[in-house]
Order: sequence, then structure tokens, then C-alpha cells
Amino acid sequence: MSLAPQEVRSTLPPPVASVEAGLACLREHGVAILPGVLARRALEEARSALYRAAAQDRLRGREQRFALDYAHDATNQRVWNLLSRDPVFPDLAEHPTALAFVRAALGWPALLGNISANITGPGGGEMVLHADQIFVPEPWAREPQGLNICWCLDDFTDQTGATRIAPTSYRLNRAPRPDEADAPTVAVEAPAGAIVVLDSRVWHKTGHNRTADRRRAGVFAWYTRPIYRQQENWFLSLDPSVRQFASDEMLVLLGWKTTGLGLVNGASPV
Amino acid sequence: MSVSPHSLRQDLERTGVAVLPGVLGAAEAAEAVERLWAAARAYRGRGGPTFMPQLDPNEANVRVFALLDLDKLFSDLIRHPAAMDLVEAVLGEGWMISNFTANIARPGARSMSLHSDQALVVPEPWLAPWSMNIIWCLTDVRGDNGGTLYIPGSHRFARRADLPGDPWRQLTPIVAPAGSIVAMDGRVWHTSGANVTAGEDRALLFGYYSADFLRPQVNWNALLSDSTQVGLDAWMRARLGLDAAANVRIAGRVLGERPRSAVEAS
Repeated sequence: MSLAPQEVRSTLPPPVASVEAGLACLREHGVAILPGVLARRALEEARSALYRAAAQDRLRGREQRFALDYAHDATNQRVWNLLSRDPVFPDLAEHPTALAFVRAALGWPALLGNISANITGPGGGEMVLHADQIFVPEPWAREPQGLNICWCLDDFTDQTGATRIAPTSYRLNRAPRPDEADAPTVAVEAPAGAIVVLDSRVWHKTGHNRTADRRRAGVFAWYTRPIYRQQENWFLSLDPSVRQFASDEMLVLLGWKTTGLGLVNGASPV
Repeated sequence: MSVSPHSLRQDLERTGVAVLPGVLGAAEAAEAVERLWAAARAYRGRGGPTFMPQLDPNEANVRVFALLDLDKLFSDLIRHPAAMDLVEAVLGEGWMISNFTANIARPGARSMSLHSDQALVVPEPWLAPWSMNIIWCLTDVRGDNGGTLYIPGSHRFARRADLPGDPWRQLTPIVAPAGSIVAMDGRVWHTSGANVTAGEDRALLFGYYSADFLRPQVNWNALLSDSTQVGLDAWMRARLGLDAAANVRIAGRVLGERPRSAVEAS
């Protein structure tokens, strides 16, 4: 990347209110910021459910680290398989606003590859700069192969470790090389209740949490085109009641309703 | 017929297809045909359809899915050392078992439509093999008994636009004696042939392998019975994607070290 730091900030799109405007941001910048998608009560429910799950994991020693996090980082916390932790998380995964982005950017059917939380803690370090579709060998196809929708359950600020992106990096249509790990990035600031939509080619990382006492929670729902293997093996790990009461759209996202791939006896599992 | 590893690789590079004869002896191939028909009966007994109208024009093509759940013989074939050598020659290290099915072309069986397995699924450009078939020839395979027809060198078509205007005229039958295996690059454009013999069945097994970031054709967690899954070793479970380490690639090592898997916790 050849952008100077002062140029970087001005390349972020402004927050927008509609899916249509968000899709324009996504096309132009590889990122869209939509405040207020979660109203106060829904936000509070999701937030309390997530912090409760995180506390349970920590208490029982079930925290699982992620290879793209730095090893010395002890305060950030990941929470996996959120669909099985509380009914508010399936609600986020199939929220109409989220799925409108998925349908427009990836088409339908699409898969939910994963939905997990990344909570930064005071002093928490950054993540390794990466693009989410790095598992796809290059050269990449012309269109994004996935979409990452971040639900901001706390304010995402430069101080609290908001996700940082290398603006316009998605236009390079390739993963960052090792010598580009320090490419200029800017914090994608967004208020609690917002969603941040990321094109799968955007180079990004967790930001450094420079506060003394604040955590910031984000739920990341990762969607892909239906040809890719999911990150979470839902058939192994999902709470059966989530599948039992799932909508048709959710069954598609999880892989239970499918065509061509993921079949049983040549037909869809349900 | 070329059989050295070097010449097999050369064939794959030149045409996209390589034939390795004699992997099964004549008696072994004949026994495998018997067991395949037994598996077909068992599959039908479960309510599984052996005619797939979306794939084949008539019922003279008999398809058997779920081979890995029906007879231990097929679990042995899908991981046969000769097959593994060819799979790794084409796909390298990071691959999975995507499907394992049978297609028995009985007299009167007709061709399916021309396709490349990779082009059906993966966006252009197709610059590297992301999938492949190992075809087990349980009977002799020729042009007149429904042998697979393919376009030699079509694994180099990077885009649909690279297809010739008259692809059907370039189709060549795979010819291989019973007991052979045939490696076919996932980018090769091919179709099943018509069986115009008077009374000869042509029995093939298609082991389909794909890169480990692609979604397998079969959901093995949902397909394989508990009794089958209990008998699988760790290597086979990983190649079938049955465990918690799914598409995480470089992150897999860490996620794979979960102290308690979802199964253990339940």
C-alpha cells in the first residue's frame, strides 16, 4: 500500500442508514458502516448474553485462542459457536439487514461459515493483518467470495481496539504479503448497535485496546459463497434445538438445506 | 501402457488423465462388482434411489451413493495407497474425500451432459486442480460400453471461453482394463459414455477428492451411520471432515487443540 497515514483516514466511507447506501460503500470502499441496526433493547440483550458466555468460558477455562491473534495477547477473548450459546445470536446471523448484504454481495444460497465474538480487553494487542478469504488460492476471482458482518456490541473506537482496515486494499484482489503487515490502517469507528460490513478481500485486523479498563465486544458473522467449507462444523457442534426451530433461511445458511454440495444420498439433508 | 509414477504424471500433465492398470487383480475386480451390486440392493433397501433423473437420461445408469456406509471394501479403496499417490500428485497435501459413488452403465445407458467437475462449482479462472476423480474400473472400460468420454488437454481450459466450438467432436473414450484406476484432473471436461453393447455392464466407482477449503459434495457427518463412524481412524475422520477442525487452514493447528471437543463435552 502506498497511502500515507493522513490520506488513509479520509478514505473511509461515512456511516449510512440504508442497505442500498451501504452496498454503494461496499463497492467503493470494501467496507460499510450502518449505525443503529440494533435498537437499545436488542443491543442490551445481545451484549449481556455475550458477556455472560465469555465469563462462563473464562471461569471454566474454555477460552480458545485463534492463530491470527498474537501469542502474547492475554486480555483479548474469543467466544466460539455463538449460535449454541443464546437465541439472540441466531437472530443476528439471519437479521434481515445482514442477509440483504449477503444476498447482494454473494448471491443466494450462501453459507454461514462461522459466528464468533472477539472481545478486546485493556492492553489487548492487535491481530495479524489479513483478508478473510486467504484460504482461496490466488489469483482470486473478480467477485468477493465472502462477507464479514461485525455487530458492534460496544462502541468501536480507536482507543477500544476497533477493527482496523487498510482502505482500498480490497482492490488489489490479493492477500497481504509478509512485508505488508505494517501497511497503514485506520480504525473503523462505529457506535454500539452498528454493523460494520467487510468485503472478504479487505485487509484488516483487530485494533490495539489502549484503554485502562474498557472491553469492546464485536460479534463477527462470516458468510461465504456455498462452495466453501465452513469454519465451524455445525453438524458436529450446533445445539440441536437451534436446528429444530431454524427458519428455512437459517437451514440454508447452516448447510442443512442445500443443492449440489453437502448432500446425503444425493439429496439435501432436509 | 504407461505405469511408472513419472509417466503417470506426464500423462496427467499432458492430457489431464492417467491410467494405472492392475491395481486390482481379475478376481478382486470381479468380487468388487458382486459387492457393488450387493451394496446397490442394500442402498435401495434403505429407500435410496439408484436412478438420478437430474444426472442420467434413463434408468440404465445405476448410481449408488453412500458406498462408505455400505461395505468396508469401499473404505479400503477410497484410501488405497495407489490412489493416494495419484491424489497427492494432483492436489498436494491439503485435500479431502468429497464423494464416493458408483455408476454402473447397463446396456442402453446414455451420456450425461458435458461438464468439468471444477467448472460446475468454482469461479473462473481454473488455473490449478482443486479437485479430481480416481475412477475404479471394476470391469473393462471402452468406448462402446459407456467408458467416460473426455477432451484430452481440457484441464488447461482456464475459462468457459476456452472451450472449442464443437467440444463433442473432441471427446475421446477412456480405455482401461478391469482392475485399473484412472486419475482425472477436476478441470477435465468429460461425460459418461453411452453403453451400446448387447449385454455388458460397465461398472465404475468414482472417488472424488477436493481441496480442503472446498465444501465436500457429501455431508459425511449427516450421511455416515454411527456404526460406520465408530470404525474410522483419526486419519479417515480428518479426510472426511468429521471433526471440529474445519476450514481454518492456518488457524487449524490452534483450533485443533481444543482441550475438549464438542463431542467430548456432550
